[in-house]
Amino acid sequence: MIQRKNAAGRIHLLVARVVVYTILIFLSALCLFSFYLLIVNASRSNAQLQAGFSLLPQGNFFTNLKNAWNDASINIPRGVLNSFLVAGLTAVLTTYFSALTAYGIHAYTFRGKKAVFTCIMAVMMIPPQVSAVGFVQLMTKLGMTNSFLPLILPGIAAPVVFFYMKQYLESVLPMEIVEAARCDGSSEFSTFNRIVLPIMKPALAVQLIFSFVASWNNYFIPALLLDKAEMKTVPIMIAQLRSADYSKFDMGKVYMFILLAILPVLIVYIFLSRSIIKGVTAGSVKG
Amino acid sequence: MAKAALLRSHRMAYVTLKNVKKIYPGKVVAVQDFNLEIRDKEFVVLVGPSGCGKSTTLRMIAGLEDITEGDLFIGEERMNDVAPKDRDIAMVFQNYALYPHMTVYENMAFALKLRRAPKAEIDKKVREAAEILDITSYLDRKPKALSGGQRQRVAIGRAIVREPQVFLMDEPLSNLDAKLRNQMRAEIIKLRHRIDTTFVYVTHDQTEAMTLGDRIVIMKDGFIQQIGTPQEVFNHPANVFVAGFIGSPQMNLFDAQLRKDDEKYFVEVAGASFALSERIAAKLRRDSEGEVIVGIRPEHIRICAQEGDDTMSAAVEVSEMMGSEIHLHLRAQDKEIVLRVNTTELPEAYRAGIPYGTQLHFTFPGDLLHLFDKESQKNLIGE
Ligand SMILES: Nc1ncnc2c1ncn2[C@@H]1O[C@H](COP(=O)(O)OP(=O)(O)OP(=O)(O)O)[C@@H](O)[C@H]1O
Ligand SMILES: [Mg+2]
Repeated sequence: MIQRKNAAGRIHLLVARVVVYTILIFLSALCLFSFYLLIVNASRSNAQLQAGFSLLPQGNFFTNLKNAWNDASINIPRGVLNSFLVAGLTAVLTTYFSALTAYGIHAYTFRGKKAVFTCIMAVMMIPPQVSAVGFVQLMTKLGMTNSFLPLILPGIAAPVVFFYMKQYLESVLPMEIVEAARCDGSSEFSTFNRIVLPIMKPALAVQLIFSFVASWNNYFIPALLLDKAEMKTVPIMIAQLRSADYSKFDMGKVYMFILLAILPVLIVYIFLSRSIIKGVTAGSVKG
Repeated sequence: MAKAALLRSHRMAYVTLKNVKKIYPGKVVAVQDFNLEIRDKEFVVLVGPSGCGKSTTLRMIAGLEDITEGDLFIGEERMNDVAPKDRDIAMVFQNYALYPHMTVYENMAFALKLRRAPKAEIDKKVREAAEILDITSYLDRKPKALSGGQRQRVAIGRAIVREPQVFLMDEPLSNLDAKLRNQMRAEIIKLRHRIDTTFVYVTHDQTEAMTLGDRIVIMKDGFIQQIGTPQEVFNHPANVFVAGFIGSPQMNLFDAQLRKDDEKYFVEVAGASFALSERIAAKLRRDSEGEVIVGIRPEHIRICAQEGDDTMSAAVEVSEMMGSEIHLHLRAQDKEIVLRVNTTELPEAYRAGIPYGTQLHFTFPGDLLHLFDKESQKNLIGE
């Protein structure tokens, strides 16, 4: 009797698993499909691409690579380097300063703390496109076009990242750890750098990836501020290839460039995802 | 460097709290009227029920909490506005508060590294402390790979490598199981003799307070109830609260009448009348008759074979066999009375426990009674 019940249970479990896995595999395939299409497209010539849709890779991969690399209007290594510089620095600044702000709000009580918090949250509600016009005008007046600074520095104020960090701190950082560091003779700033930051490592990794990718893909403001060839970032170059005149237009080249452009992002992702481990505070305090 | 070390060892680590008061935001008065002088190298225990302000007091000494009113001195220096990092204190937290991303070694070395001590010295001190606490074999582990008891040792180790002026501990043993707690309590006593510095220790456990403290500070609702050696607070509780708090099982307390007859004093409880000894009568702080609270410790009640004027009678409700002694819970009318009897003093038939409902007669020896004022709850017997 019990055995039959067990057998029924096992079948039930099996069915449930099959259903769940099917759904998960389908969703993963959906996500990976666009990558696959990108690789396929990067291997097709412009004519083939114009002709229509194909699921099978074709033989033009290296031709496209050569063409993209040798295109006189864009300098791929330069673009990648520029993008890497901007995205990398933005990611680091965004993450570090958001964590710092979040820690300040989390760990200290001071007059007006609520107001400060509300203010930061209010900024989060303003879409960047709204403030962009004013920002670009201001930068133009300050003569800061064709400079990376206006792209990197505003990263310091990132309300969304701040909010994420604050939620994370609330869940992982007992104040006793901070107090223990204080008693141990650590200054407030060194407590943040040597104790709090390492504890926040998983959150830092997540936000580094997010802000790196966001900055890497950012086209809107860089396009308005950068027009010198040697300053251009990858998204600007891609747009430039796409809008090339009829005689030079080559969609295969565009896809190849896009493929090249996501490689650094993948590398950053693989590199950082190792730090996204759970339970870093496990065992530090009882509870 | 050598001179600094010399100065350091000569610094007197007494701690003085003068009229200290703490009000938390929201007008919560956590501690008030707190006056205490902790002597150099003294072990003081703050004890009291939950919420009485022990942790708050300790945290004010550490500098983790602002002092609303009053003064705090460590040595000669007024510390009210000195940051924790400059107070030269070490604190052990109830929940260990180890740095999760550092190994045991790094946890212990952290404070010394901040002080820029030479590597060799750090290594020596960490290994010494690890030796004392028997955690040498875990030095390379992260806190999450340790048991509760081991983590607590690391937390203590982190404090001792610093050789602080004052050692603060907030219920360091309350997360451990009973056996480990007893063991660690003994370790702390040993430790105390080895590192010989000033200790302030917080606990809600009166046994811990009695066994560890040179002096005990008993608190309730933010006020100090009594300060004294374990012996003093046990033999001469300042008020009814302390009488009930210190000692286990707790002191029996009854409403009673104080009578004076022929220059002799009697207390009358539920029909029985007990004569106060001359020693106690001589120290009585009042000579008027009237209502009092009388207290007698469970181990001081004496069982009698016969009923008499100076005996009470009650039936056994619960008999707890503790091994070498038996705790008897008796009920007389609506009062519960607890007796603690050595097994060896009982008749053979009762040594395994006393059956439910057995009527016992017992008396209170007149020299071991405690008398408290009914109104003020203060002890009526002078020291
Ligand atoms: N941050 C705070 N804000 C407001 N009130 C507080 C705060 N911390 C403590 N209190 C209050 O102050 C009083 C004393 O608290 P404290 O933590 O010192 O008690 P305790 O004696 O350590 O108790 P326990 O044995 O439970 O740890 C309590 O009534 C508590 O509610
Ligand atoms: Mg407490």
